[in-house]
Amino acid sequence: MTGFTLPIPVIETERLVLRGPRESDFEAHAELMASERSKFIGGPQDKPIAWRGFTGSIGHWVLRGYGMWLVTDKADDRPLGRIGFINSYGWDEPELGWHLYAAAEGKGVAYEATLAARRYGAERLGLDGVISYIDPANARSLALATRLGARFEREGEVMGHPCHVYRHPTLAEAG
Amino acid sequence: MAHRDIPVLETRRLLLRGPAAEDYPNFKATFTSYRARFMGGPLTPYESWMLYAAEIGHWQIRGYGMWMIHDKQTDETYGMAGGWKPAMWPEAEIAWVIWPDKAGKGYALEATHAVRRYLYRERGWTTAVSYIDPKNLDSIRLAERLGAVKDHDAASIDGNDAVYRHPSPAQLDGSQLAHGIEMEIGHYTDPLFKPKGWAID
Repeated sequence: MTGFTLPIPVIETERLVLRGPRESDFEAHAELMASERSKFIGGPQDKPIAWRGFTGSIGHWVLRGYGMWLVTDKADDRPLGRIGFINSYGWDEPELGWHLYAAAEGKGVAYEATLAARRYGAERLGLDGVISYIDPANARSLALATRLGARFEREGEVMGHPCHVYRHPTLAEAG
Repeated sequence: MAHRDIPVLETRRLLLRGPAAEDYPNFKATFTSYRARFMGGPLTPYESWMLYAAEIGHWQIRGYGMWMIHDKQTDETYGMAGGWKPAMWPEAEIAWVIWPDKAGKGYALEATHAVRRYLYRERGWTTAVSYIDPKNLDSIRLAERLGAVKDHDAASIDGNDAVYRHPSPAQLDGSQLAHGIEMEIGHYTDPLFKPKGWAID
């Protein structure tokens, strides 16, 4: 008997496939969330909390109609990170968020995937000109947001953590 | 977007459906309350939301999960029951929760009996446990009414929970135990009905 497949859309880019999370992706996710690299995205977390976040990001699609994709290498389906739209309890509005697993850093993966997810959100999900919450100390994310054309809008807060709100260009503005 | 592929289970009084967005307020009310003390709670509003989303995601990852228990007539929700296996769980468990103001009417028994039968017959489970806080006497009592017995040899989640082993499909099929469960559910469904052998005074 087959499982119960949610209609999470699949997006292909030149090097990547963005798809729904699978159990085989979990170890890579748990490793990120256990490490110091997760300090700007709610970590470090123990495994049960990481599992809740991992499976919760699937339920997010049902509760909100949009969510995060698992980004994989088109060549071998290796999990590279998660990118997409977050609007969990406590968020002001849908956020475009991203985090990569350690081995995937520094190859332009986040830029390629985020650009594709942002375009999909604007064209298909009614999410145009969204925000990203960024901790000013998170230089890598700040650099990516800037490269994506997002602009500082205001000081904000998410989950009790002060952070900066960046606004992405709309589809029309981005061209 | 609905989770359209989760099967609907029907019992005498109940409909069991996949968790939906509109059912969330009832879930939140219980899981942010003292009622959730044996289930990792009380949770903050954020934790509660993430757990509910995780209950839905569990269906996608495992192919089974927790159903929302509805009244067949009024559609109001009474709690949840189903199969549950987060990472770190030694084996798959049958789990349940009833909203505090809906307890004592046999809904958990009726729903859990139905999901256990479904998991055994339709999903091929050959055994099942329930991980229960030793202080959660209502849940231990329900496990025992379902014929589960404490399994001292089975691994627990973290040493703070008792493992109750459910009767196997073979032990349950056509057994006196199964008839007894049906009879107890029948009693809840129609309080005038008294099972044979019960004291009438």
